[in-house]
Amino acid sequence: MEVQDLVLEEEEEEEEDSDKEDQDLDKMFGAWLGELDKLTQSLDDGRPEQPPQQKAPLRQETNMANFSYRFSIYNINEALNQGENVDLDALMADLCSIEQELSTINTKPNSSGSMARLGLTDTKVQTCTCLCSMYMDEAARQTSSHSLSSHRRTGSVGTVSEHEVKLLSILRMTECYCFGLLCTISVAIPVYVQEEQAAKLKAENIRVALEKIKEAQVKKLVIRVHLSDESSKTMMVDERQTVRQVLDSLLEKSHCGYSPDWSLVETINELQMERIFEDHENLVENLLNWTRDSQNRLMFTERIEKYALFKNPQNYLLGRKETCEMAERNKEALLEECFGGSSVSVPEMEGVLWLKEDGKKSWKKRYFLLRASGIYYVPKGKAKASRDLVCFLQLDHVNVYHGQDYKSKYKAPTDYCMVLKHPQIQKKSQYIKYLCCDDVRTLQQWINSIRIAKYGKQLYINFQEAMRRTEAAYDWSSLSSSSIKSGSSSSSLPESQSNHSSQSDSGVSEMTSSGHTRSQSVVSSIFSDAWRRGTQGEV
Amino acid sequence: MAAWDLSVTVVDLGPDAPPVTLSVTSDLHVGGVILKLVEKTQIKRDWSDHALWWEQKQKWLLRTAWTLEKYEIHADARLLFIPQHKPLRLGLPNGITLRLLASFSSPVFQTVMGICRMLNIRHPEELSLLRPVEEKKKKKDKDSAEEIYDLTEVPLSSASRPCLYNGMPAHFADSPQMEAIYKMLSITQPPPAPEVIAKQYRPASVVDKAHINGRWLDSSRCLMQQGIQENDRVWLRFKYFAFYDIEPKYDVVRLAQLYEQARWAILLEDIDCTEEEMMLFGALQYHISKVSQSEPQLMSTSAAMDDLDSALQSLEVKLEGESSSASEMLVRTAGSPELNDYLKIFRPKRLTLKGYKQYWFKFQDTSISYFKSKEESIGEPIQQINLKGCEVAPDVNVTASKFLIRLLIPAPEGMNEVYLRCENEQQYAQWMAGCRLASKGKSLADNSFQSEIQSIRSFLAMQKTNAGSHGNAHAADESINTHSLVSPRYHKKYKAKQLTPRILDAYQNVAQLSLTDAVMRFLQIWQALPDFGLSYVVVRFKGSRKDEVLGIAPNRLIRIDLGVGDVVKTWRYNNMKQWNVNWDIRQVAIEFEGNINIAFSCVTADCKIVHEFIGGYIFMSTRSREKSDTLNEELFHKLTGGHEAL
Repeated sequence: MEVQDLVLEEEEEEEEDSDKEDQDLDKMFGAWLGELDKLTQSLDDGRPEQPPQQKAPLRQETNMANFSYRFSIYNINEALNQGENVDLDALMADLCSIEQELSTINTKPNSSGSMARLGLTDTKVQTCTCLCSMYMDEAARQTSSHSLSSHRRTGSVGTVSEHEVKLLSILRMTECYCFGLLCTISVAIPVYVQEEQAAKLKAENIRVALEKIKEAQVKKLVIRVHLSDESSKTMMVDERQTVRQVLDSLLEKSHCGYSPDWSLVETINELQMERIFEDHENLVENLLNWTRDSQNRLMFTERIEKYALFKNPQNYLLGRKETCEMAERNKEALLEECFGGSSVSVPEMEGVLWLKEDGKKSWKKRYFLLRASGIYYVPKGKAKASRDLVCFLQLDHVNVYHGQDYKSKYKAPTDYCMVLKHPQIQKKSQYIKYLCCDDVRTLQQWINSIRIAKYGKQLYINFQEAMRRTEAAYDWSSLSSSSIKSGSSSSSLPESQSNHSSQSDSGVSEMTSSGHTRSQSVVSSIFSDAWRRGTQGEV
Repeated sequence: MAAWDLSVTVVDLGPDAPPVTLSVTSDLHVGGVILKLVEKTQIKRDWSDHALWWEQKQKWLLRTAWTLEKYEIHADARLLFIPQHKPLRLGLPNGITLRLLASFSSPVFQTVMGICRMLNIRHPEELSLLRPVEEKKKKKDKDSAEEIYDLTEVPLSSASRPCLYNGMPAHFADSPQMEAIYKMLSITQPPPAPEVIAKQYRPASVVDKAHINGRWLDSSRCLMQQGIQENDRVWLRFKYFAFYDIEPKYDVVRLAQLYEQARWAILLEDIDCTEEEMMLFGALQYHISKVSQSEPQLMSTSAAMDDLDSALQSLEVKLEGESSSASEMLVRTAGSPELNDYLKIFRPKRLTLKGYKQYWFKFQDTSISYFKSKEESIGEPIQQINLKGCEVAPDVNVTASKFLIRLLIPAPEGMNEVYLRCENEQQYAQWMAGCRLASKGKSLADNSFQSEIQSIRSFLAMQKTNAGSHGNAHAADESINTHSLVSPRYHKKYKAKQLTPRILDAYQNVAQLSLTDAVMRFLQIWQALPDFGLSYVVVRFKGSRKDEVLGIAPNRLIRIDLGVGDVVKTWRYNNMKQWNVNWDIRQVAIEFEGNINIAFSCVTADCKIVHEFIGGYIFMSTRSREKSDTLNEELFHKLTGGHEAL
């Protein structure tokens, strides 16, 4: 998926058939303006800004929508491929008008009254235009292969191509400028276009909005998130949002049951690999690594492997070869031991893995070891003493991905492959390292151990945070149904003779191994909390 | 009851004075004996620290209410009337020796508590005393010349926490001399000369490492009982590698000593690490020694000032976090700082025979752009490279005037390799600093730019002196021989000037850390080493015919096969049900969940030491539950005391 596709859309009277998606965007836009207000206020007050929760009043949105054009970043390729009803022609028209404006600006600056108003955001308009045109380039290329839905405003394909030509000329004009600005200027900016006779008051509102944006300087992206049922959602994220925050708002919108397993997954089609974004990561930062013509997708889906590490830590932290069960209290103690201290101990992962040789389709066996400082291998003819190890790579600059179907793609020995690469690399490169494991268990152990080595305690904090939200999402109403069951399960707890700390402020250990019997886990954690309080009293 | 004569030697009367003879009855209590004794000596002084020591039985008669009969003391008993606190020469982890008064009558555990109280080290349970490794005869002469810092004048106090004055315990604030001692305790030592490292004993094998653990003193018995005499030398070391609640604000001495112990463990290869890790440790040591020279007043600020400082600091962080984007914007609009110069560029990946080509370079924000010449720099650049997220590596040889910046720039197609060649040190330091900041997404306007330049230059200076003659190492005080930062193995492997770029490489990631952060980072990396926290003991497992090594870690026991040198089995304390020591046959038996039983006898250390290690770690893990500062001495004793505790 291409996140950064910018689309200019015209509003309202032209679009009686505006689909649900557009309404979503409307809401989003309104909410976003509301946010801006809050944002600037908070900036003025100098207080830290809370991520806005409530939406702005609907009336305001429609007002805005009536006269304003709207920029949004939106996955046009995707939409086209899916055959969704996208207002490409409307887009063209808008672009055209912008082009006209640009030419007016270029030829006779500050001449008309409308221009004076525009003057304030002079550069912004340009920027937006070039951004927009850049993305439109993509869209335009697609149009030739895609039959346009005939729309009443722009009827023929010929018109479109005409626009396209103009568009491309703008593109050329501004492209290099645009590259420089891409990273620095707010990506989504509503632009006031003096095309129709709009009321001056309203125009002033926009001007204020623009100023606020300028103050806030917060990058916003409109992204398309794919769901497992092949549908997709469009939403706006700002550059400060963590994956956790985006997940939360997605969960709130989609009304799917809350589970810590919900994940945002980046899939890089070209390289056949995917990665679950960690909750603390910055989403926008990651998405900006994608290229313009990227086929990458952002998936919103439940993945048990996201936090499997914490649900069954014994299978990941003890360096054992076989899966096994563990009493909940021991799991908790194990996690606390591993993550609770001042430093995190990286699981002792070592063993033979297959390494894909650079530029070849052959795979070579090597004995690899994971240390906190990176991945090492044992050189030929040496023992595995620390001092003789050769550093394969350090983890600061790479992420670990899950390679898919590499048996056929790269003639891998098995399909259990992991990939290590710099997040910015998007195409085949010698800087991408491919490793292949003998079985899925080894693969999962390696991936999770690398995550621990890379993120350390943050990973555990993420999990605890996710669990807290899970608990918050289930109220006491679920208590009656499952209290008996969990009561009996927790009765074994007081037998504990462990001398180890059982402190944990979330229901970590009570997560059942399946991870899906949620209400029970919540209740039992409430019980265990109470029990813990009881025992603490004893001590 | 019949009276009989009891003779007591009063050491304070002089070595040649005959024992004082008292006429006592068996129902006289010890307090009464002391009273009689003091009356008889007719010396007026404070006797309150004195007590009776029974030489044959090697025990103190500390219960003054007990009668002689209860103590089973008869006329043949040789009793000594001696002070309970005597001077002890204490070797610290940083290699410095203190002379201080320590309790010779209480269990070593309490003695250590007293010492730590005096030195302002929190969590004394993590430390213990051990007999030093015998020094060779040759060094003995030197030893007498060794400077010993005297703390014997410090009054003994029983307060659990010393009251602080100027951020240090009051007794250190008395005089400039005392203040200097405290400074030495709380500031890390400069890197040792390579010869000093080379001279030190280095364990060559896991068995060698096991031997040191036979030297730990028994924490449930007193120093006198373990043959430690007045003015003897013992080492104070962190014994349990479970450091609880490190708080840089309160733990100045603790952190400094912990760092020293870790540093020596690495320099002497007491713990194994990879070459990359060694370079990072080296870089951190260099940085720590440099920063501690420039900000030595770390600990002498008062507690109130500390609070203020930390408050200000957190405020700063907050402001930084909130306004970063805004301030960036300001800078951008107000004309950001730039670097402009002629540099040479080379792209090793391109298949050209062309070497370095000169262009006019412009560094702005996080990007480098270059032009054909200065005159054309108003127009379009030939190329613009954004350095955000790139890897920067130095390739410098000062003597050969080689100042190369190697850039590995990520792009969707892979990494692009670009070399920038600078003319001189000055230029290199600026552009290198810019590249480093840009790789972290910071612009030249960032306030760390100047300090980054400084750290690069000081490192270059180090290379310069290394390249020069070895004799004038003291010429520039900034310079450190890089051999001082790594273990002797690397002295052989690399020359000092070969080592410099490698350490420099690692250094760039830590150059901006504060002193405390650098020390903490050092400790974190140390703690993340796979072998961290393992104390080895050579044991003989029941039913086995060969010696094996038992590794005792904070959370587990491991069994190491000496033949393979590999861990063959791991047992975790979590699964431990009970452990017993059969004191008659001196065998440790441990039962784990799932009917796993192991038993072994100890070869290189007494089984009490092993018992104490295991019990000690169990004790350490219970600490978090209480969250209070009071030490549960009784529990420690229960877990580690063995038959003494019964």
